[in-house]
Amino acid sequence: MSSSARIQFPTTAPNPTFEKKQTAMKTLKHHTFRNIAAVLAGIFFTSFVVLQVNSPEIENPPVTSEFHGPEEVTRILKRSCYDCHSNETNLRWYDKVAPFSYKVAADVEEARKRFNFSEWDSIPKGEQEGKLWYIVNMIEAGRMPLPEYTATHPSAKVTPAELTVLKNYVTSISQKHYATGDTAKIVDKPKVANVPTSVIGIRYFDDYKNWKVISTTGRPDNGTSRIIYGNDIAVKALEENDILPWPDGAVIVKVVWNSQAPDADGNVKPGNFNNVQMMVRDAKKFAGTEGWGFARFGGLDLKPYGKTTAFATSCINCHQLAKGTGFVFDIPTKPAQR
Amino acid sequence: MKSIILIIISATLVLAACQDSRKLTPAPETIFDDQGLHVITSFHNARTHTISVLYGNDDALAHAREERAAHTSGEATPGEATPGVVFKLVTWDLKQNPLWFGSNINGGLRSVETVTVSTGGSGPAIDYAIRHSRQKRDENAATSKAERISFIFAQQASVFP
Repeated sequence: MSSSARIQFPTTAPNPTFEKKQTAMKTLKHHTFRNIAAVLAGIFFTSFVVLQVNSPEIENPPVTSEFHGPEEVTRILKRSCYDCHSNETNLRWYDKVAPFSYKVAADVEEARKRFNFSEWDSIPKGEQEGKLWYIVNMIEAGRMPLPEYTATHPSAKVTPAELTVLKNYVTSISQKHYATGDTAKIVDKPKVANVPTSVIGIRYFDDYKNWKVISTTGRPDNGTSRIIYGNDIAVKALEENDILPWPDGAVIVKVVWNSQAPDADGNVKPGNFNNVQMMVRDAKKFAGTEGWGFARFGGLDLKPYGKTTAFATSCINCHQLAKGTGFVFDIPTKPAQR
Repeated sequence: MKSIILIIISATLVLAACQDSRKLTPAPETIFDDQGLHVITSFHNARTHTISVLYGNDDALAHAREERAAHTSGEATPGEATPGVVFKLVTWDLKQNPLWFGSNINGGLRSVETVTVSTGGSGPAIDYAIRHSRQKRDENAATSKAERISFIFAQQASVFP
């Protein structure tokens, strides 16, 4: 018999000593595994206990200035938003179990910082309405309530019918812009002497008036009319569908007017000048805000908006909704080809 | 089991549909080539579902500024059209911005109306032309050229900083 034949049929020659050894080895291995498992379980259990003991507590500070709205609106907000965006956080038992409790506490802290329905008046009066539109749009985009939150708290989901209730509500509160929007006497002040510069170093300039209009918008949400200009780099990026990300040097300027009440034929025309906004693309310089530098100059005296550079964070927080178009809301678009 | 599969499939489709509505590509064909004309003003109309930008040359801008000044001061409207004026009124479809509920943005280009004033035999001659970007029934058929001309001439220049 050749050696290859023996290798082919090893079972034909059983070896009792070898089998014994194997069994012993298996037992030893089994013990080792058991020991390791026990040690690991011990570590996990101890960590778990330590995590529970140190688990963050979520306090509910007093409600100082609660948001007031129609009952059907507040009912939705209370059920879907209040666990994080209010001082009436109602945690379930599983929210308090570490390690989840850490995530929950961090989310609540961040949410209250963004806006707090229990301290609603901490938002300047003029910005409260815009915040409500922002909330509605975050819900519509499916970003809020956080998907990981609704996965464990399905009752917090906002149904399409409820979203319609919220949309109707914000639309109704913004109707007043048209009632008061009669700017029959349009103010035209002389030009400012000094060219203002925003807190993040963007200087106002006039050259956009020679750029192409890339889009124009009417905003029933805040009663404004807008024209949006793009510089050559921005227009080229649109033409070449090269906006993810937008190339450095692209600049977009938006001029905003208060809308007048519709005329007899339904035309809504611009009234007084409101503000001019700029988005300047520099991926490195503005890395903290997705590569976009934001500036806003208000009124004909072009007062720069924002006292600290932190204002740009609030800009990009909202512009996250336009992530699919490189964080720019107002560009001409069509549905993507599949 | 069948119903579960059906639910999963339909849920996936619904989710896919939701995501698709926010998946967009640029539509640069809607950008109007102004060929050096100034932006004079803009307006939108929820009834006709349109949004427009009025462009014009120096003379047209000067006229629209006079319209605004006359409106603000409450005095009589400015004089007749002077030769050399060129207006272009660009109109797009109005659609909801898919990225922001509460904002209406221009969609596809609908029409470009051009008004030019030249020197005629007995005073200024005003020419009006409309170019539709799509083959469709003229919705403004009832509106006469004269009405469109006076509408365009009545626009007031927007105040820019």
